[in-house]
Amino acid sequence: MRCASSRHLLELHLDGELSASESAEIQEHVENCVSCGGLYQRLERLQTDIRTQVIRHRAPAQLQQSIQAALRKAAASEPPAPRIHWNWMAVAASVLLFASMAWNVAFLRSRDSARDVVAREVLSSHLRSLMGTHLLDVPSSDQHTVKPWFNGKLNFSPDVRDFASQGFRLVGGRVEYISDRPVAALVYQRRQHIINLFTWPSLSSSQSGYSEMQRNGYNLVSWTEHGITCWAVSDLQTGELEQFAQLYK
Amino acid sequence: MRCLAPLVDDHPMKVSMDEETKLAVFEQTIVPHLNAAYNLAAWLTRNKDDAEDVVQEAYLRAFRFFGGFHGGDGKAWLLAIVRNTCQTWLHREKGNRSVVMFDEQMHSPELAKANPEGMLLKKFDVASLRECLEGLPVDYREVVILRELEEMSYQEIADVVKIPLGTVMSRLSRARQRLADCVAARVNGGLV
Repeated sequence: MRCASSRHLLELHLDGELSASESAEIQEHVENCVSCGGLYQRLERLQTDIRTQVIRHRAPAQLQQSIQAALRKAAASEPPAPRIHWNWMAVAASVLLFASMAWNVAFLRSRDSARDVVAREVLSSHLRSLMGTHLLDVPSSDQHTVKPWFNGKLNFSPDVRDFASQGFRLVGGRVEYISDRPVAALVYQRRQHIINLFTWPSLSSSQSGYSEMQRNGYNLVSWTEHGITCWAVSDLQTGELEQFAQLYK
Repeated sequence: MRCLAPLVDDHPMKVSMDEETKLAVFEQTIVPHLNAAYNLAAWLTRNKDDAEDVVQEAYLRAFRFFGGFHGGDGKAWLLAIVRNTCQTWLHREKGNRSVVMFDEQMHSPELAKANPEGMLLKKFDVASLRECLEGLPVDYREVVILRELEEMSYQEIADVVKIPLGTVMSRLSRARQRLADCVAARVNGGLV
């Protein structure tokens, strides 16, 4: 071994970074070479001095306490991780906001029929619910949880059924205001599409058949049967929304 | 329901189950390395109050990024964050404070050569060693602290400092040389 290039090898040996056989070789050299032996001794001495003489700073006791308090606070205020799955909604929301505003402006231009007023409110409510702040008051796929939740919040008991086996999963419900009265909003999901189903007792006894309309790329269907008015709204294709309506009817 | 449930938390301030688990795991794997974190921060900032601030900030960052920790060496993972937090702090302080720089003239290799004992520290002076270590440039100081006080391997140091293995070796070697020269110069100066 050439001594001129040995310093790094000596340090690797000192730091335990060599294999056993390499270390044995260096050790043998160190014992037989005066210059390398001296250098190794000095390196070893320096290491020992640092390890034994230099202060290891110890964290003050109150630091651990304050860190643990801060962590607990951070854990409590941090949003639960699954929320990230809804990022797509935030993106959609900004698009929807523009769609909704443009749509509202367009609507103000003409005098609407009563039916159009309801349609507008239904769609607005749907859009608001997708903006991520208030989709559900009662998140549950269990119809026996969602239905009783409406007790005391509405003056009627909505018909709540899950259609998960048919691809329309009940995800929950909330109370909405449509035409100045509280109504039940049931939320269903099909793939990534949300369906809001609004239902309330019809004021008039008249029956109206099934009807469809399109507003700003959203499909709306409505019907009144047995004194109950229903509106379903979604970005689903007409066919699929109709399929849902038929299931619910 | 897994996706929708978090949207309406009845008790937004309540620690959710997931966060509670995360906190418990964090407390088991990362919090025990507090002394190592503080030691590194104290040696890098050279100020106890600043070290406390840095460590507290580093722990909060570590907790935030704990999802990125996939087991393994919690100490190296934490120290990498402490080191980064220190770097930010040092960068911020650079304009405000005069950082003690290594005095090339005072610690020149010629002096060590002039002294036949060279690196041999017979009359070892604890204060000199500490001051010399404090006076090392931070790049050198950190590898010495990680190697000698935290007894980390080259690979672990490479992971913390984010430099190649070969750079760990050469930095550590130069740091030792400077340290030895510095101490030798002081001992020599003291004797003259």
